[in-house]
Amino acid sequence: MIQDYLILSIILFCLGILGVITRRNVFSVFMSIELMLNAANLAFIAFSRLHESMDGHVLAMMVMAVAAAEAALALAVVILLHKHKSKLDTNIFSLLKG
Amino acid sequence: MFAEALFFGFAVLSVLGAIGLVLFRHPMNGAMSLVVTMISLAGLYALLSAKLIFALQLIVYAGAIMSLVLFIIMFLNIQDSDLPTEKGRWLYQLGGIIVILPIASFLIKIVKSIPGSEATIVGSGFGGVKEVGLVLFQDWLLPFEIVSILLLVALVGAVVLAGKRRMGK
Repeated sequence: MIQDYLILSIILFCLGILGVITRRNVFSVFMSIELMLNAANLAFIAFSRLHESMDGHVLAMMVMAVAAAEAALALAVVILLHKHKSKLDTNIFSLLKG
Repeated sequence: MFAEALFFGFAVLSVLGAIGLVLFRHPMNGAMSLVVTMISLAGLYALLSAKLIFALQLIVYAGAIMSLVLFIIMFLNIQDSDLPTEKGRWLYQLGGIIVILPIASFLIKIVKSIPGSEATIVGSGFGGVKEVGLVLFQDWLLPFEIVSILLLVALVGAVVLAGKRRMGK
């Protein structure tokens, strides 16, 4: 059934939110965001199968492109911050707090 | 029957991988469990007869993005002493579960009210390269171009961030 796929996508998305709000490791937070993007992709593909149209597949491809761009930029920022502070704690990275 | 057993196996594997990502302390263990989640999601895409997305999930997500993340984690050579201590992590996670659980049950209730259909595997004419390409280059041409500009901006941004600084010092 299509509903099972959607319920699985909701569970994965909620686990991703849990990772973002409870972890303080930069890499864990980043990978939780990737997990949420994947859950959204699963919902797109499931709805696309439900309506037998191809638009969901195209949207999933665009989400993958955005995730690739995000990975490149976020990892470059993490490397720079690690070089300056040699820490991986998100509480240390509050440079823009003013 | 066989497809349902496959769905159950892939679903359990992906949820276990996600739980491992949230619970493991070292990011390397978390990255490996996220790889498990992504590969089982690729299996789920194949069950939904999305052949192109199945291949792209394996190549782009489980291949390229996760190997980039693993490369960076190994590149920084993270020891246990480098990790944040995360005191009171279990308390935060309990609080997070208490906050998220009502939202999740509400969403699941909404999803269950959708008139569903059987997710049988469609043969030809759905989810292949030809069908997705036709929709992509006819109806979604402008978003496709915008995504290409986004990738160019990300490329330039990565070069600027990683390049040498020569500002006055």
